[in-house]
Amino acid sequence: MQITQFFRRHPMEIILIVMFIFLVFAAPGFATVNNQLNVLRNITMQGIIAFGMTMIIVSGEIDLSIGSGVAFSGCVTAWITRELVDVTGPFFAITMGALTAMAILFGIGVLTGKLRQHFNMPTFITTLGLLTVLSGAANLITDGFPITSFPYEFNFLGSGYLFGIPFPVYIFITLFALVYFLMNYTSFGRSLYAVGGNLEAARLSGIDVWKTKTLALGLTGVFTAIAGVLIASQILSGSASAARGWELDVISAVIIGGTSLFGGKGTVRGTLIGVLFLGVIVNGMTLMNVSEYWQYVVRGGLIIGAVWMNHALDRKVKA
Amino acid sequence: MSAIVETQGLTKVYGNVVALDKFTHRFEKSRIHALMGKNGSGKSTLVNVLAGVVQPTSGQMSLNGKDMHFSSPADALNANVVTVHQELSLVPELSVAENIYLGRMPKSHFLGISKIDWTSARTKTKILLEDMKLEIGPDAIISSLSVGQQQTVEIAKAMSFNPSLLLLDEPTSALASKEVEMLFRLLRRLRKQGTTMMYISHRMSELAEIADTVTVLRDGKHIGTVEMAETTNSDIVDMMFGNVAHNRPAERVSQADPNNAILKVQGLSRKPAYEDVSFELFKGEVLGIAGMLGAGRTEVLRSIFGADPFDSGEIIVDGQKIKDPDPQYMTEIGLGYTPENRKEVGLVQAHSIHNNLSMASLRQNAPLGIITKAAERPGVIKQVDNLHIKIDSAEDPVSSLSGGNQQKVVFGNWMNTNPKIMFFDEPSRGVDVQAKQQIFKIIWDQAEKGLSSIFVSTELEEMLEVCDRILIMREGRMIGELDPSQTTLTELYTACMEGL
Repeated sequence: MQITQFFRRHPMEIILIVMFIFLVFAAPGFATVNNQLNVLRNITMQGIIAFGMTMIIVSGEIDLSIGSGVAFSGCVTAWITRELVDVTGPFFAITMGALTAMAILFGIGVLTGKLRQHFNMPTFITTLGLLTVLSGAANLITDGFPITSFPYEFNFLGSGYLFGIPFPVYIFITLFALVYFLMNYTSFGRSLYAVGGNLEAARLSGIDVWKTKTLALGLTGVFTAIAGVLIASQILSGSASAARGWELDVISAVIIGGTSLFGGKGTVRGTLIGVLFLGVIVNGMTLMNVSEYWQYVVRGGLIIGAVWMNHALDRKVKA
Repeated sequence: MSAIVETQGLTKVYGNVVALDKFTHRFEKSRIHALMGKNGSGKSTLVNVLAGVVQPTSGQMSLNGKDMHFSSPADALNANVVTVHQELSLVPELSVAENIYLGRMPKSHFLGISKIDWTSARTKTKILLEDMKLEIGPDAIISSLSVGQQQTVEIAKAMSFNPSLLLLDEPTSALASKEVEMLFRLLRRLRKQGTTMMYISHRMSELAEIADTVTVLRDGKHIGTVEMAETTNSDIVDMMFGNVAHNRPAERVSQADPNNAILKVQGLSRKPAYEDVSFELFKGEVLGIAGMLGAGRTEVLRSIFGADPFDSGEIIVDGQKIKDPDPQYMTEIGLGYTPENRKEVGLVQAHSIHNNLSMASLRQNAPLGIITKAAERPGVIKQVDNLHIKIDSAEDPVSSLSGGNQQKVVFGNWMNTNPKIMFFDEPSRGVDVQAKQQIFKIIWDQAEKGLSSIFVSTELEEMLEVCDRILIMREGRMIGELDPSQTTLTELYTACMEGL
């Protein structure tokens, strides 16, 4: 009885574990420490953004621009580094670049929120436009060629190991903890749910609904910039073609994790499961030599299946 | 004159509530029959049965002597029984012609392909509108018309079905007086052409002008039918309310402190919803604002609370002038507002009882922005106990509760902010009798503890029962005040309908 209850409440966890066990036996090389660390490193960048995206979607909005946002912030960081490195030295230049990228994407998130508040511009439309704008801006900065201004030491951020674990994983865990805290233990987090669950009821209860949504959009901008800097570090350059199409992977992870696209419902813990789920599947299929085209088909099918299951179980739990 | 609509023992039962109880009557042809009764008296049920929206539990009805059995509104339309509902059902983006022939546009055939015949649609609409002497073009877009014109388009649409019986459910509730005149001219013309009409309205003064007979229902029963010309308004009100019409409410000691006006409103206006509204609310007082639907009560409350803007006027809370009220600031300085439509905007239905009880007090409980469920739990437990909210677990979704318990959650949400002033907008709507009494008791108990509140209800009996003082609003204006202990229901009803 309790086991069925647990299964109904945590279906994705169970499926993740079952799939994990399956891959241990079916996929050669899956169960090695190296491969597991590899999976972890591969999911960190998208995972970081998915945590922010969870806040946005719970508040009833969406951000489709993050793919270009990642590329843009990598390019901004690389460009500022190139301009400053001779004057200030690499450490300060890179720091300045990264902070500038975070500030710009935070500002763009806030602007998106303001457009929603004052002109009733759907974030779906604004961020769809921004997806193209930021991609264009990244190409303008780089003039079409990757900027390779980073010193080799910078590679540590994206590819280095600390105590045997890839460095980005620490950032991944820290940001997960931060978002978990924000969503569960702050009035901002509670407001996210209220605002996404019923905007007017939240407003009439004295909640600053626009500040809440705007802050979620701005914070996700910062997370996107962090992911952009990590990617730039991994490929040791600012490239306008990095992270193309990420928005769909990130939103998929959030949805697989049980967050409702209509807002008001979802957890960042679920998103973590969704991110792990996608990471493990992609890794497992690659190890099993499944063709890349088939991988797309399977991933897409899994997204539909996961959403269908969440809905079906939701109804059962209610009844 | 032959009877056009006859009903024989018409009964509709919902669960164990008898909404319509053996209604037997003969509605004569080519006349306008007013249906009257307070909320829940069964008049809407009667109209819904006639329109095929619901099926009677027992009893018969006939049209021109022919038995009618409607299993859907489409059946009623086929029998030329047409309804104009209170809410407009037009598509705002489409033209008048498209709306009138929505789903049944005239078609023509070209090379075997069926296509819409726009010329015919326009011509037919034009003839229809000219017949009704309406100066609206068939190509006008609905959203560009005034609400009154939209209502006449709605009736034109009804006329395009050639009704032999036209059912009108509060067709004037959204109209200004000039538009009402236009509508009435139209109805009189239709009557001359032989259409029988049934007309539901709460505006008594209109009935004298338009109706030929008045049929009164109370608690689902047919109380009586009189000729409009041979009756008086107070006779009708007496029929509507029965014995309680002249009862005075039980004496309750007012806690109001007349020297301490905690809320002052001066010359508040937002045309056309309300104009030049001024009043004072005293500490510990339960102040009622009475009026008919659309009198502007809710709009005034929402403006004071900052949920909607206003054009001019002053709001003074505790001696301090409020510049630009918004719900967040007003909550901070101790106001609270339980909205009239709690299902839609009072609660987050999918969220837990715990979260719904902690929504308005969120910032109070989290001075540094940090909050835990444990910090909120005392408030949740306190309200569940004080308000006798029936729950299994505070983690259940609030949507699993009954209407009365949901309303108590809305109350509890605000009580957790320790408000100084509360606005209760229709707190008893959709709540059973017992929960209603509990809700009133909560309001009185809070008044004794110094809470000042404004109470708004469409149920005038409740206003007399609950309030220390009642302000009367009519057509957006504050027209005076009454002392409930010196007022009968008939007097209050008449004041709301026709002024003091």
